[in-house]
Amino acid sequence: MRLLAGVIEIDGKEKLLIIEDGVARLEPVESQAQREEFGCYQLLKKRELHLRRGSVSGPGVFRFRYGPVTAGVREAGCFNLYTFGEKILHAGIDVSWKHRGIEEAMSNKTPQRALALAEAVCSNFAFSHSVAYVRAVENALHSNVDMGVQNWRNILLEAERIYNHLHVITKLASAAAQKVLTSHLSSLFEEALRLNEILTGSRYLMGINQVGGFHHLPSLENMQHAINGYSLIAKRFEQLYVHSVNNANYMDRLHAAGTITADQAIAMGLGGPSLRACGVKDDLNTTISHLIQLPVITQNEGDALARMEVRAEEIMNSCEYIIDHLKISDAWNFNTDEATKSIRENGEGCGIANSPSGAVAYYVVLQDGIIAHARIFTPSYVGMHAAAFSLDEYIFTDFPFIFDSFGVHFSDAAR
Amino acid sequence: MLKWWPLFGIRRHLTEKKAYTSPIRLQSLYGKLFQRSLFIYILDVGSSNALNFEISALESPQYNIHRFGIYFTDSPRHADVLLILGRPTELMLAPMNETLNQMPEPYYVITIDDSMDDLPMSPYPEMRHHVAQLKGIPSPSELLGLLLELPKNKRIAS
Repeated sequence: MRLLAGVIEIDGKEKLLIIEDGVARLEPVESQAQREEFGCYQLLKKRELHLRRGSVSGPGVFRFRYGPVTAGVREAGCFNLYTFGEKILHAGIDVSWKHRGIEEAMSNKTPQRALALAEAVCSNFAFSHSVAYVRAVENALHSNVDMGVQNWRNILLEAERIYNHLHVITKLASAAAQKVLTSHLSSLFEEALRLNEILTGSRYLMGINQVGGFHHLPSLENMQHAINGYSLIAKRFEQLYVHSVNNANYMDRLHAAGTITADQAIAMGLGGPSLRACGVKDDLNTTISHLIQLPVITQNEGDALARMEVRAEEIMNSCEYIIDHLKISDAWNFNTDEATKSIRENGEGCGIANSPSGAVAYYVVLQDGIIAHARIFTPSYVGMHAAAFSLDEYIFTDFPFIFDSFGVHFSDAAR
Repeated sequence: MLKWWPLFGIRRHLTEKKAYTSPIRLQSLYGKLFQRSLFIYILDVGSSNALNFEISALESPQYNIHRFGIYFTDSPRHADVLLILGRPTELMLAPMNETLNQMPEPYYVITIDDSMDDLPMSPYPEMRHHVAQLKGIPSPSELLGLLLELPKNKRIAS
């Protein structure tokens, strides 16, 4: 499957960042047909901070502005909802409140300094951003990275997936007033963050990755503790999940909320659990072909329930995957002092990582060992657009279930 | 046969009994305004989202902040403390000032700055009762330790 992850336009030249069979590559644009192949081309080219601008008029219709200061949406962002009081007629999302100019700030920085900026785009996706960024730089400099480092990167991507998915499902349970479920899920979320700290020294897996290798080795002393921790999360989550899907009140809130079809999801450039919930298998897992392949979880309904179910099954799979690989991780010896050095200082490259909500993609140009240009393509950008699209025609009661089920973040979309 | 939800995991003791401390020193010149409980309004003005996640973690049963009389409010008008996450983007300066205007007297302000110096973020404006300025991403236990220092009578646990 060919996915368009980004459109890069520098000095009047246009390139497409394509993901095919799980591998990212750049294609220069030479014909209109290349652009027309992807329904999300215009969306990815414009990279707007005001998503789905537009308005609706009619008897009693008004614009309801929700944010940027509201307890309902913790992040600094704003929804523009056109309504006559109950049904949402048109939804737009303004992410500009959170725009920090991170791409611009990366220019003229050393690759290592820019890496810290990549981690700061959206800290709960910090590891995905760091992996996509270092892969782009390593591709640009033609660096070969130790297999042990590559394995650890894939393990930690799954660790990031677990706590993010737990956070999304906790929010959905909370919105449905499932107090007991919310409390138990919230405790698992905190446990997952603590396991991150045990493995890497950071609750958000920050500061461990570097170009060509790792800054420090994941802690091998506490490996058994981490294995036990992930086993416990998997066991307790499975019990909660089985219990929750038998709760009609909870299911009723999620079922048929924010439904999108597979064709719509592909046209909007969606990825990750939101795409897989429409029955479409993406190939992002093939980037880890040297390890045991993770199964690709799909559902067919394309609604908030399907998105939750995909995430729930992924939590259990990721726990199992981490446990299996941590048991053999002591064989992945590498020296952190010998991060692969490259003799090249100039080049362009792209890299992707399979983040909890879809593909994070980076494009970098290096000149004399310094970042000259950087472009960041995040899953929340297309996810926000899809969330706004799927809010249309639903009522306000459905709002948190639809928006939260996409697992998108303003900081990630705004960069 | 599935258990009734209120009975699910009822014997599991998730709340931790720990003494929470914070390395952050409060600016004491404002005195202690509150007796026991604290109502906090969270305002994100440009954080990288880790702070939002740490607030979510602070709401987990391990910390059980309600036993200390700490609650998050849905409106600044109901709050004793305004907890500002991140350094403000240019656009968020005006909403932040308006939120400050909505805080009922007396109140405290705590800021947590997780921004990198390379980013073009705005400095914090002069704020009254700005009792603590944190840098980086504090853990939930550090944050709880700080919040427990604010009232006159520190509650250990209920």
